[in-house]
Amino acid sequence: MVEVYTWEPNANSGKPLFCLKEKQVPFTHHYVDMGSYEQFSPEFLDINPDGTIPAVVHGRLVMTESTPAMEYIDDAYGGPPLRPADPYLRWRMRQVMRYMDNVVAPSLAMIASNRLAAPRFIGRDPEELKRELNKIPLPERRASWEKLMFNTTPPAELEESARRVSQAIAHFEALLAELPWLAGERFSLADIAVFATFYGLPISYPREVHEARTPHLIDWLRRCHSRPALQEAFALSRGFISQRAAEVRGMLGIAESVAA
Amino acid sequence: MIVLHYAAGSPHSASVRITLAEKGLDWTGHPLDLSRFEQHAPDYLDIAPSGLVPVLEHDGRRLSEAFFILLYLDEVYPDPPLGGSDPGERYRVHKWGKYVETHIAPHLGIVRWAALGGAAGPEQAQGFARLPHERRALWERAAAGFDADQVAVSRRALLAAVDRLAADLAEGEWLAGPALTLADVVACPHVRQLPALGIPLPQAVQDWCDRFSQRDSARALEGEVELLPVLGPEPGRWG
Repeated sequence: MVEVYTWEPNANSGKPLFCLKEKQVPFTHHYVDMGSYEQFSPEFLDINPDGTIPAVVHGRLVMTESTPAMEYIDDAYGGPPLRPADPYLRWRMRQVMRYMDNVVAPSLAMIASNRLAAPRFIGRDPEELKRELNKIPLPERRASWEKLMFNTTPPAELEESARRVSQAIAHFEALLAELPWLAGERFSLADIAVFATFYGLPISYPREVHEARTPHLIDWLRRCHSRPALQEAFALSRGFISQRAAEVRGMLGIAESVAA
Repeated sequence: MIVLHYAAGSPHSASVRITLAEKGLDWTGHPLDLSRFEQHAPDYLDIAPSGLVPVLEHDGRRLSEAFFILLYLDEVYPDPPLGGSDPGERYRVHKWGKYVETHIAPHLGIVRWAALGGAAGPEQAQGFARLPHERRALWERAAAGFDADQVAVSRRALLAAVDRLAADLAEGEWLAGPALTLADVVACPHVRQLPALGIPLPQAVQDWCDRFSQRDSARALEGEVELLPVLGPEPGRWG
C-alpha cells in the first residue's frame, strides 16, 4: 500500500491527500507534525533527506516532489482520471500548476509564515534558534527559516508577494469565467493544486475574494468544497485546518456530506 | 505544422530541438539572436509576452515552457516514446523537469551572467520596460550586476544539483531508467554548460553528458554558440 507522509491537508501536504481521495486509492497516512519540526527529525530524514513534506512512498519509489507525485498517482492507479486526455489541455493544466508552485504558493507561504510563525520566535535565545536552523538540510529552506526566526524578511518582498497573490486571484477569476474547471471541462490536478492553497481564501482574503468581486472563483470554491473526496481529505486534519475548511463550507452554504 | 521560435545559446531551445530530432519531426524555425536581445522585440513579445524562448506553434496553438513542450510533443507524437516506460520512470521524468526548471536553470542563468560579464545598456533597458513585472525585475537586477552573495548562493545550488545528478546516474546510464528519456533531454543542455563556468562535473555526470552529446540529435547543434549571458527563469523567492 502507498504510504503518505504529510502535515495538515494544506498546500503541498494537501496535494497527494486530495488526489488519492479523489482516485479512491487506499493509503496509509503518517502525520508529520510541522508544529514540532518533525520534518527535520532523524526518523523523517531517513525517508526524505531534504526534510520537506510531503513524501509519498510506493514500494522502492520515494517521491518528494508533490506536483510530479500527483501525476504519478493519476498515472499509476485506476479510478476517475484527473488529467485531461487532450495533450493541449494537459499542457494548460501543467501551466496552472507551475504558476501555482513557483509564483503563487511561495508568495502565500511567505505572507502566512511571517504572520503566523514569525511571532513565535520573538524573545527566543538566538543561539538556540541557530541550533534549530542547522537541522534544516536544504539551504534555500534554511534561508527562509532564518528570515522568519530573526524577523528579517524585507518589507518590499512581502509587498511583492501580496501583489502576486492579488494578481493570481484576478488571473484565476478570469480563467474560471471562461471554463468550469482550471484545465477545461473537467476537474483535474490543476484544480487540486490551486484548491490545496486557495481553499481558505474567503476567510483569509475576505476583501479580495467574495461573491460580488470574484463570483467565478467563489462558485469554483463552492464546487470544490462540495466534493466528498476533498471533504474526506480534510477529515485527516489533526489541527486547525479541518475547522477552517468547515468554516468555509458554512460561509458558502455547503451541507456536510462527511461525518466529522 | 510545427513552428518553433528558438535561439542558439538557449539550453531550453536545445531541449525542444533535440526532442523534435529524436522523434524525426519536420518543423519550421524562427531563430532569434539573443546577443542582440531580439527576444525583447515587440514582435516577439506579441508571441511570448514574457520574452522567453522557445515557443512552439502547433495546430493553431501556441505553447511555452520548454519542459511542458517536451511532454506535449511526447503525448502527440508517442513514437519513439521518451516519457518513461512505467509510472516510476515517468515520475522521475517529471521530477527532473521540475528540478531543471525551478533549480538548475535559474541559478545557471545567474552564474552564467556573472561569469561571462553580462551587461545591458540603455537600449536593452527599453526592452526590459516591455516585459511583465517579474521578468523586468530580474533583468534589472542582472543589468545592475548580481551581488556576490547571490552568485555564491547560485554556485552552491549548482554544485548541489551536480551531486543529485550523480546520485541518480549511479543507478544507470540515463536519469530516469535504462533508456534515454525527456529527463536527459531537459537536463543535459543546461548541465553541459557547467564546466565552462568553473563547476566541475563528477565522472559519471561527464560520461552521461558525453553519451548525450554523441547522439545525432545533439550533434546537429554542434558548432553553434553554446554560452551567452542570458537569464533563466526567476529563482525561487521563498524556500
